[in-house]
Amino acid sequence: MAVEQEHFVHLSRPLAPALLGYSASSAPLTVNIQPQAVFSILDHAVRRDIRDTQSTRVIGALVGVRSEDGSDVEVRSTFAIPHTENEDQVEVDVEYQKNMLALTLKASPRETLLGWYTTSHELNSFSALIQNFFASPDTGTFPHPAVHLTISTDAGAAIETKTYISAPVAVNAERAAESCLFIEVPHRLLFSDAEKAALGSVAAAAEAPSDARAAPIVSDIEGLTNSLDTVSDLLERVSAYVSEVLDEERDGNQALGQYLMNALSLTPKVSGAQIEHDFNNHIQDVLMVSYLANSIRTQIDLAQRLATAPLVGGDKDAADKAKEGEEGGAGKGEGGRGGRGGKRGGRGGGRGGGQPREPREPREPVD
Amino acid sequence: MADVQRDVPIKSAQVEALVVMKIVKHCSATFPTTATGSLVGMDVNGVLEITNTFPFPTIDVAHTERDRDRDRDNHQNDASSLAAAAPRAKANIVYQNEMIRHLKEVNVDANNVGWYTSATMGNFVNLSFIENQYHYQRDNDKTVALVHDVSRSSQGFLSLRAFKLSSDFMAAYKEGKFTTESLQKSKLTFKDIIVEVPIIVHNSHLLTSFVYQIATPQDSAEVPLPASLDDIRRDPIKAPAHPSFDSLDLSIDPFLEKTCDLLLESIEAHYTDLNNHQYYQRQLTREQFKITQWQTKRKAENAARAAAKQPPLPEDEWQRLFKLPQEPSRLEGMLNARQVEQYSKQVDGFTATITTKMFAVRENLPE
Repeated sequence: MAVEQEHFVHLSRPLAPALLGYSASSAPLTVNIQPQAVFSILDHAVRRDIRDTQSTRVIGALVGVRSEDGSDVEVRSTFAIPHTENEDQVEVDVEYQKNMLALTLKASPRETLLGWYTTSHELNSFSALIQNFFASPDTGTFPHPAVHLTISTDAGAAIETKTYISAPVAVNAERAAESCLFIEVPHRLLFSDAEKAALGSVAAAAEAPSDARAAPIVSDIEGLTNSLDTVSDLLERVSAYVSEVLDEERDGNQALGQYLMNALSLTPKVSGAQIEHDFNNHIQDVLMVSYLANSIRTQIDLAQRLATAPLVGGDKDAADKAKEGEEGGAGKGEGGRGGRGGKRGGRGGGRGGGQPREPREPREPVD
Repeated sequence: MADVQRDVPIKSAQVEALVVMKIVKHCSATFPTTATGSLVGMDVNGVLEITNTFPFPTIDVAHTERDRDRDRDNHQNDASSLAAAAPRAKANIVYQNEMIRHLKEVNVDANNVGWYTSATMGNFVNLSFIENQYHYQRDNDKTVALVHDVSRSSQGFLSLRAFKLSSDFMAAYKEGKFTTESLQKSKLTFKDIIVEVPIIVHNSHLLTSFVYQIATPQDSAEVPLPASLDDIRRDPIKAPAHPSFDSLDLSIDPFLEKTCDLLLESIEAHYTDLNNHQYYQRQLTREQFKITQWQTKRKAENAARAAAKQPPLPEDEWQRLFKLPQEPSRLEGMLNARQVEQYSKQVDGFTATITTKMFAVRENLPE
C-alpha cells in the first residue's frame, strides 16, 4: 500500500557546477518513506527540548537504503540529533551524529545515511548550512544528493511532509557554505503488508472512544467480529445505494455500475456439492488438529504432574510410576497408529502438503 | 491466575505505536531468522511504558556471509541462534548501554525495560528465551519480553504479547535446581514459568492526527461520483487500517501444516526428555543395587571379623566408592509442556475464527 501525497511532474533538478567535479545523474529521484520513520520523527517532535534553545523545530538524520542507480531512496529509520538554534547561530552536535550513525549502522549494516529531517516547513539559511553539512563528501552523502525531509507538526494543523534535494548556489563564494537551492522531489509513504496489521492496532488506539488514545490488542475473534461488522455495514451501504438507483430516487452512475458488475462477476462458479465437500474436509481437518493439540496438551500436562507428584511409596516410586504411565501411553498410541493412518490416508489423499503427517501423531489420550 | 498477578508489580505494558512499528518492521525484515532488540521506557505506577526500541546488531555478518555458500543449511540456524542469544551477549550489553546513553541526550526515556524477539506460530518458549529474560529480570524486576509473532500477524491481526518470568521461577532458576524433589517442594509447575502481561497500544496526539491523515473512512454520504472506471482504478479507496480485511482470508492449510509440524517437534522433545529420565532411572537402580550388594558383603565381612575378634571395617565407605548419577534437569520438560500449552491455545483460537469464517462462506454461497 502506498499513499501518494500528491501527483506532480518532476521537471527540474539542480545542475551541479562543473568546477566541483560533481557528476550527479539527472534521473528523477523518488523518496519512499516507511511509516516507522515518520512515527519516530513525530515522537522526537513531542520530546523536543525547549530549555536552552529558541528553536521550535528538531532535527535528525534519515537512514535507509538507496537503489543502485541512486534514483530511488527508501527511508527506513531515523535518529534524533541534539541541536541548539539562536537568532544568529545554529549548533549541531556533529560528534553525536557520527557516533549514533555508527551505532545504527552496526545493527543494520545494509543501510546508509540518506539525509536529514526537521519538523518545520521553513527553509532558511540554517537549513542550507545543515544541508551542506549532510551533502558534503566526508560527513554526508556525497556523491548522492542529501535528502531533506520537512514535516509540519503544528498543533491543530494537518501533518504535511515535503522532501527536497539541493544544489549549491550562492551570491558569492564567501556565502557558499550557508546557501543552497532546495528543490522539491516527490515522495510517498510506503506500507508493507506486515506493517498493515500493526497499523491496524495503532489505528484502533487512535479511534478509541475515550481520550486515552490507547487500546488493548484485540484477540483474533474480536478482530474478526469487527471486520465482519464493517464489511456488512459497507455491503449494506452499497445495496442501499443500488436500491435507491433502482427506485429512481437518485441518478445511476455508469462507472459505479460497471465497477459493481465487475466485482460481482468475480464470484466463483462452483457447485453446491463441491462446496459442501470442501467445507466438510476442511472443517474436519481444523477440528482434528484442534482435538489432537488439546489431547497432546493433556497428555503432557499429565506426564509433568505424574513426574513430580509425591505418590504413596516415596519419591522414587512416584517418578517410576510416571515413567510407566508414559510408556503405557506411548505403547497404546503406537498401536492405534496404523488404523488411524489408513483411515486418514484414504480420505485426505487429494490434498498434499502437511496433512499426511497427521497420522504420525500417536498420542491420543489413553482410553 | 489471581495469585500470580499479586506478586507481579507490573500490571500492564503500555506500548507506544512507534515501538510497535519498529518491532514489526525489524522482525518481518529478518524473517524467518529470529530478530531481537532492546526496549527502553519507564514504569509508572505499575504500568510499564515502553517508549522506544532499537535492534541488536547481528553478530559478525561478514563471517556468516562468507560461510553462506559452504553451509547454506546451517547458516540460517546459526544466524537465528546467534540472534536469539544476542540479548545476553557481552558485546550487545555494551552496545545497549552506549545506545541508551545516546538516546538519553535526545530526551528518550533512558531505562532499559526489557527486550523483544520474533517468533513463528508461538514457538518462543525455549531455554534461550528463559535465559534472556532471566538475564534482564535478575537486574531489574520490572522488565518484560515482547514477543512478536510474524506468522500470526500476517493473518491480519497484530500478534504482540508481553511476558515475564514469575518470581517463583526466578528463585528456582537462580538455584539452578530442577530435580523432582525440588519441584515437589516448591510446587512449581510449567504453568507458573512465565506470566503474560496485558498490552495496551498508545499513541501520542501528533500520531493520532497523523493516523487519521493516512486513511480516513468515508463517512459522508455524498461522495463525488466517478466519471469512468479508470477514475476508480486510478484513485483507489484508502481503506482504513482498522478493522483490517486481511483477516477475512480463508486459507487454513498453511496454518494447520505448521501447527502439526511444531506439535511433532514438541512431541519429539518430550520423548527425548522422557528417555533421558528413563536412562537416569535405570542408572540409579543399577547403582543402588550395586551399593546394596556391597553393603551386604561388607556386613558379612564384618560379622566374620567380629567372630575373629577383629575391629570391624567402616560401613560407609560406599559413599566414596560409588557415585549416584545426577538427575537430569526437569526444566526442559517443563518448558516443552508450556510450549505445547501455548500451541494448543493458539489452535483453539484459530479454530474459533476459522469455523466462523467457513460457516459464513457455506451459508452465503448459492447452491
